[in-house]
Amino acid sequence: MNNRIAHILLSLGKVDRKIIFAIIGIVVFVPLIKPEWVDIPVQISPDSKKVFTELSSLEPNSKVLLSFEYGPSTKPEIHPMSVALLNHLFAKQIKVYIMALWPDGVFMATDALEQVLSNNLFNVEEYVDYVNLGFKQGGEVVIRGVASDIRQLYTKDFKQVSIDDIPMMSGVNNVSDFDYVIDLSAGTPGTTEWVQYACDPKDVPFTSGCTSIQVTDVMPYVKSGQVRGILAGMPGAAEYESMVKEELQRLQEEGFPGINADAVVPTGKATGRMSAQSIAHLVMVLFIILGNVSYFISRRMKVKE
Amino acid sequence: MLKRQLPIVIVIVVGFLTLGGHFINNAPLKNFIDNDATQWYDIIAGFAVFLGSLNLLKLHLTRVVRKTKNWQYSIFSVAGFLLMIIFGFVYHGSEVDWGKHLDAKDSYFYWMYWYIYQPLSTTMFALLAFFVASASYRAFRIRNYEATLLLISGIILMLGRVPIGSLIPWWIVGGMYVALIFALIKSYFKSINLSIYSYLLAYVFLILIGGFVFGWHQNTPAFLKLNDIQQWIFNVPATAGATAIMIGIAIGTIAQSYRIITGRERSILGE
Repeated sequence: MNNRIAHILLSLGKVDRKIIFAIIGIVVFVPLIKPEWVDIPVQISPDSKKVFTELSSLEPNSKVLLSFEYGPSTKPEIHPMSVALLNHLFAKQIKVYIMALWPDGVFMATDALEQVLSNNLFNVEEYVDYVNLGFKQGGEVVIRGVASDIRQLYTKDFKQVSIDDIPMMSGVNNVSDFDYVIDLSAGTPGTTEWVQYACDPKDVPFTSGCTSIQVTDVMPYVKSGQVRGILAGMPGAAEYESMVKEELQRLQEEGFPGINADAVVPTGKATGRMSAQSIAHLVMVLFIILGNVSYFISRRMKVKE
Repeated sequence: MLKRQLPIVIVIVVGFLTLGGHFINNAPLKNFIDNDATQWYDIIAGFAVFLGSLNLLKLHLTRVVRKTKNWQYSIFSVAGFLLMIIFGFVYHGSEVDWGKHLDAKDSYFYWMYWYIYQPLSTTMFALLAFFVASASYRAFRIRNYEATLLLISGIILMLGRVPIGSLIPWWIVGGMYVALIFALIKSYFKSINLSIYSYLLAYVFLILIGGFVFGWHQNTPAFLKLNDIQQWIFNVPATAGATAIMIGIAIGTIAQSYRIITGRERSILGE
């Protein structure tokens, strides 16, 4: 009997990878198409809360530079942050300046803007409330250029409109003219470069939304206060989404002038995706435990032989 | 002379000028490193993109012509490359002006980006989930002390970062602590039965009874909450490790930069 159990446990350590692929596929797919089946409440982390508090404290008409450094591969993780951040900034009647250090970033930015504007939640106008400056090649050098003279770097916006003809660009010469800089980053150039070349030397408040894998690299800057809070991967996006949704509903109920009273406050995509990630992580942990039980038994059997 | 000495002289002069701009308060020098040098970089980067594109084309065309291993894939690379060049620079099929076609929904460039490149790129990255699951199932084994630490912190991070981690009760997290201690001292037990009974005994006394005595079921301390433990791992050991690595990289960068601007490092010339 003991031998039979041992053999069953041993076989659990040799599951074919096609079966693992199939199980992971199912546990990811089902919560994605039916998020209401696995509704797990999102817990707000102190770092996400700090980003929300910092941006909430900005006055209307403050200037925020939003830099897009991600592409389609990391879109599911970072795009919900972009949408939630834009919702939050527009709700607070903050002027948003968009730029991209990655070629894909500019497409991500236009898509995020389109998503936010399609909800008809805000009465915002291009070149008055937001501008998309587009992509510039050069990484760190572009960041340095933004720190010293943005007008020399960007003479036209993404739609080829001259910077001098854009009303909200008046008085904006370098990074010091912004009240806050936010970087949405999936790699290099990204958060680290913004800290090193622009925001820390010029003492401009800065925060970041990045992929989970980057968090360890950015944490030293968060702990030193050079990055004020962090939205860490999809969990960070889901946390921010839930805070922004609550805030938008509150502002709408209070009749805040920046928000249309009859529009529906949307639910972000990261919250639903977190259920899929939760279950997938749990299944992976179960697989790891089974693999170790099997490994432990196989070692015991070898010692006995 | 021109091929070797001239590039070294350019690197030394520009390197010292740029370095000097950070330490010397001189307006023309500051203007050079803040504005002129960045413009130069833009121009050089533009040429580099052009050269890179030519190199890519040459590499894949050579593969196709010589029919080296997997040459068929190169056809797709060349075709994709040429198509994007045509839709980006030659014909965009939209009524908007050049430049605006990048964002025009009826342009071919837009269509190729959003309906070919974007789904392919996302799919490639999504495949990682499957490979990571399979690889961690095979590779995460308690082989030694370091592997045990890696496994435990990996599991805590995997569960602590997602909402389901907050649903894991304190008595399971407590069981993980006791399991970790027993994994570390397992070599002192002469039989497996003794280690299992000892584990159960320690678990019941230290966690279950201790928990009810100290009221952990009502007011769970942070060290028994997975979310708080993962936050601590991020804040303390991971930050300490990352900071140490960053300091190492910074010192390495200083040393390497010194070698480059003094002409000692010649790998930049392709030597």
